[in-house]
Amino acid sequence: MKRRLSLLLLSLITSLAAADSSLLADRAWVREAPPGASMMAAYLVITNPTDRDARLVEVESPSFAHVMMHKSVTVDGMARMLHQDSIPIPAHGSVALEPGSYHLMMPAPDTRLSAGETVEFLLHFDDNSSVRVTAVVRKKP
Amino acid sequence: MTNHRTRSPLMRIILLLLATALLTACSPPEPPQLQQATLLPSAKPIADFNLINQKGEAFTLDDLKGHWTFAFFGYTHCPDVCPTSLGMLGRVMRRLKEDLQPDAMPQGLFVSVDPQRDTPEMLAKYVAYFYPDFIAATGDPAEIHRLTRQLGILYVKSAGDKDNDYLIDHSAAVVLFDPDGRFHALFNVPHDADKIASDFLLIKNYYEATR
Repeated sequence: MKRRLSLLLLSLITSLAAADSSLLADRAWVREAPPGASMMAAYLVITNPTDRDARLVEVESPSFAHVMMHKSVTVDGMARMLHQDSIPIPAHGSVALEPGSYHLMMPAPDTRLSAGETVEFLLHFDDNSSVRVTAVVRKKP
Repeated sequence: MTNHRTRSPLMRIILLLLATALLTACSPPEPPQLQQATLLPSAKPIADFNLINQKGEAFTLDDLKGHWTFAFFGYTHCPDVCPTSLGMLGRVMRRLKEDLQPDAMPQGLFVSVDPQRDTPEMLAKYVAYFYPDFIAATGDPAEIHRLTRQLGILYVKSAGDKDNDYLIDHSAAVVLFDPDGRFHALFNVPHDADKIASDFLLIKNYYEATR
């Protein structure tokens, strides 16, 4: 019983650590929300060193009620935000979530996040692997 | 002994040619070579409109007169494009502050096309975050449209991820009004703060030289 419990605990810790993916995430940052802004954006770079194409399919964070995947596009001078069901990361390639392109969009939490604070994101990929990344809140790009 | 009364006809012709050459050199300068701005062939007068500024006061065509104005159209619920553009405009202002006297500084205006959610109080705090002197305006949808349709600025609500979290597709261009309150130039994306600042100085100098 004790052993089973410790196994359960171990698997829980492993899933929390979530370093079971071959994909890498770095340069993560969140744009500090201007006063009054209800939405925030986060940016990062995901690298796929493997031989197969991967897709980012879901993102969660303890700091935000939910995390959406978006892409800003400007067509004929019109800026649009398009909801993305997933974000592709080609084999041996990388994708940059950056201002004016792919980004994560989150509702601003009740307690305002200030520049210098950090938040965690858990990235889930289509091969059921996950990566945890720490993002720093920054005042500007 | 000679004086101008006794100049030869040839001398008179030479003087006349010199004077003509000088006049040509002083004629209106060539339009500036711009990096990002699209100059309107002739500045477009704007019909009056009736908006509300970030202090809750009336904001009309008169508020565009007497100084240059950079204007950007968006909404505060926009997390990516709008903060990026306003941050960029803030950098343009800081750049220009190095070159211009305070009374020659342009005005920075954010027009919210989302009056349903953006109140003047919210806008006041929002724009000051990017540059302390930024102003904001919004108002009745019909009045916003009265201004934007004269500028070719477009915006349309699009479905969001949730019912009350709608998004707005909107023109990403920055509009430049001259001190006569006329639509003078347009800056299309991608925006570069240094290029916009140097274009602005060229546009301003050309405008002042050709008045």
